[in-house]
Formats: sequence, C-alpha cells, structure tokens
Amino acid sequence: MAKQIVEMLVETATLELPDVKTIHLKWPEGYEADFKTGQFITLYWPHKQKYKRAYSLSSCALDRGFFDVTVKRDGKMGTSIVDWCEAGDKLFVIPPVGKFLPAFEPPGKHLICIAGGSGVTPFRGFVREATRRNLDTRITVLYTVRSTKDIIFNDEFRQLEKENPRFKFEVTCTRLAPEDPWTGRRGRITADWVKTFIGDAANTVFYACGTNELVAATEHLVLEELKLAKEQMRTEKWG
Amino acid sequence: MSTQIPADLKYAKSHEWSRIAGDTATVGITDHAQHELTDVVFVELPALGRQVKAGEACAVVESVKTASDIYAPLSGEVIELNKAVADNPSLVNTEPYVGGWFFKLKLAAPAEAGQLLSVDQYRQQIGG
Repeated sequence: MAKQIVEMLVETATLELPDVKTIHLKWPEGYEADFKTGQFITLYWPHKQKYKRAYSLSSCALDRGFFDVTVKRDGKMGTSIVDWCEAGDKLFVIPPVGKFLPAFEPPGKHLICIAGGSGVTPFRGFVREATRRNLDTRITVLYTVRSTKDIIFNDEFRQLEKENPRFKFEVTCTRLAPEDPWTGRRGRITADWVKTFIGDAANTVFYACGTNELVAATEHLVLEELKLAKEQMRTEKWG
Repeated sequence: MSTQIPADLKYAKSHEWSRIAGDTATVGITDHAQHELTDVVFVELPALGRQVKAGEACAVVESVKTASDIYAPLSGEVIELNKAVADNPSLVNTEPYVGGWFFKLKLAAPAEAGQLLSVDQYRQQIGG
C-alpha cells in the first residue's frame, strides 16, 4: 500500500533541553500506521512544502495514536521547531520508513547502541519496546555528550534502567570542567571502552547514530578491529 | 556506486570543489559530499560582495537529514551567486559539478590554490 502523507496536529511540544524539543504528533482519526521501532518520518510545514526534514522516531511501534520526534535546533526546520513549534500547530508527515531496526528476533541478542548528541533519540524507542515486551534482548546505550546538561532523556533512560535489568545507559562527557562533580566517565567513546561491554561478540549487534565521524569510528571498530560481519553493524548518520 | 571526482578541479578537505580560471574560482560541493548529505532541500548563499577568507564558513546546505556549513576554499570576494541552486537545491544532488555550483570568487591570493587537494589526494581522503 502506498505511504499516505497526512497532516498531523502537534498535541504537545516539550523542551527537553534548551536546544532540543520533542513534538508529539497526533494521528488523525481513522489513521493507522504500519511501522517499526527505529524508523524515521519526514516532516514539512504546510506553508513550505518543498522544504522537508527527516527525523528518527523517539517513540516506538507499541506507541499507537501518535509519533514522537525529538529535534535539535539545527537548520531551518530544527530552528523553527525548537523556537516556535507549539501545541496546535500542524505539520505534514510522510509515514515511517528506514532500516535502522532493533534486532529483537531471534531472541537473546545484545544490542550495543552508540550515540552522539541527538543521535540517542531512536534508542529511546528501542528500549521502550524491549522493556514493555519484557524481551530478553540486552541493550547497552553508550552515549557521548559534551556535558551533563546535554543528556537527552536522562530521566527516562534512568527509569528504564530500573524497570529493565537487561538495559544499561552509559554516558561519557567530553567537555566537562575539571571541577564538575560528575562521577561518570569523561572523554570520547573509544574502542577500548566499547570492548568492555562486549560479552559474546558473535551474538552482538552494533548500532551507531550520530555524526559521520562517530558512525565511521564505530564501523572501523566493528568491521576492522573486531573483524565482525557487516550484518552485525547498523548505522544512521544524524538520525 | 562510484563517486565522480573531475580531474580539472581542486578540492578542500571539507569537500568543496574549486574550478579556477585566471583569478576567478567557481565553488561547489563534491559528489561525495552530496551523497553523504542525501537529498538537499535548502541552500543559503553568501552575500554578494562579501569578502571571505579561506576556511571561513560562508554558506549553508541542508539535506533532509542534516545542516552543514560550506567553507570558502580560497580567499576572495563573492562576485556571483547561483540563484538556480537556491531556487532548486536538488541541483546539488543531480549536478554537483555543473548546475549545482554555489558561488564565484574573485581570488585575493591565487597562490592559495596550491594548498588545496588534487584529485588523487581527495580520492585518498574519501577512501575512493
């Protein structure tokens, strides 16, 4: 069936950080979407139909009746959404597509999800679905941010960690002042750090979502250093 | 799919190309860059007459996935803009080296071109 473009109401608009906003797009009555966790939707404003931007869903396929996307203030669309978008606005939505999908089948996999900045947004969907379905899939999110003020969904990920013993949320900060009280890891994501989370490499699937540099570094680690198969690596550049 | 890297151009590490003719350079972004960006939906060009220095951010290109600065590969004055690419940003994807050029510079220091990458150096950089 052809993907139907629909106009959706922004039901809520929530500022997650000063430069990051989640918009909750309500499906119109009678609308049903056949989609998977990890896919992205494409948005455009009714008055600017040629200008479109794609955003990964930060909600999951079990969330029915709405799509959530979490948008960084970047470019014309990111700026207009973060600065201006509010409940009651309408946006056109091209339904979800994409292959950045969690490997929940066959069961028992370990998903190591490497994210930078707003690249963490699709992984909220991964963890939500795995937790609600009580899957035996292990998920480890390795998240690089500049400072503790830049962690998106910190409260929700910490809560999901409590609910789901197979989920770990590990943050590393790259630009904290030395006197900052943060007791977690500092510095960039390194191959050695990632390796500490790998148990059974053959049963692990790696995901990378973020800048081209972050994705390339992860690909290098998985394909060149660990010599794993391409099928064990899934990437989304600036999801 | 193989990436086009025309032999008659010079390249910046930040993926801009320059077609130099006398003291003028036409500037755009490479086939590799447009491929990485995916579908380009917006191009913001510098002001006509602006003086730019090599390495200075002077334009913006946005694709469906991301927004990126475009850097002047050489120093000089912006003397011509490609209005067609501002009106139809998809030219960056379909004709990166022809209809998808961004602006022309009157070069302030033509010798700077020696700092840019050759075809082989750029191919090596992008792993082609």
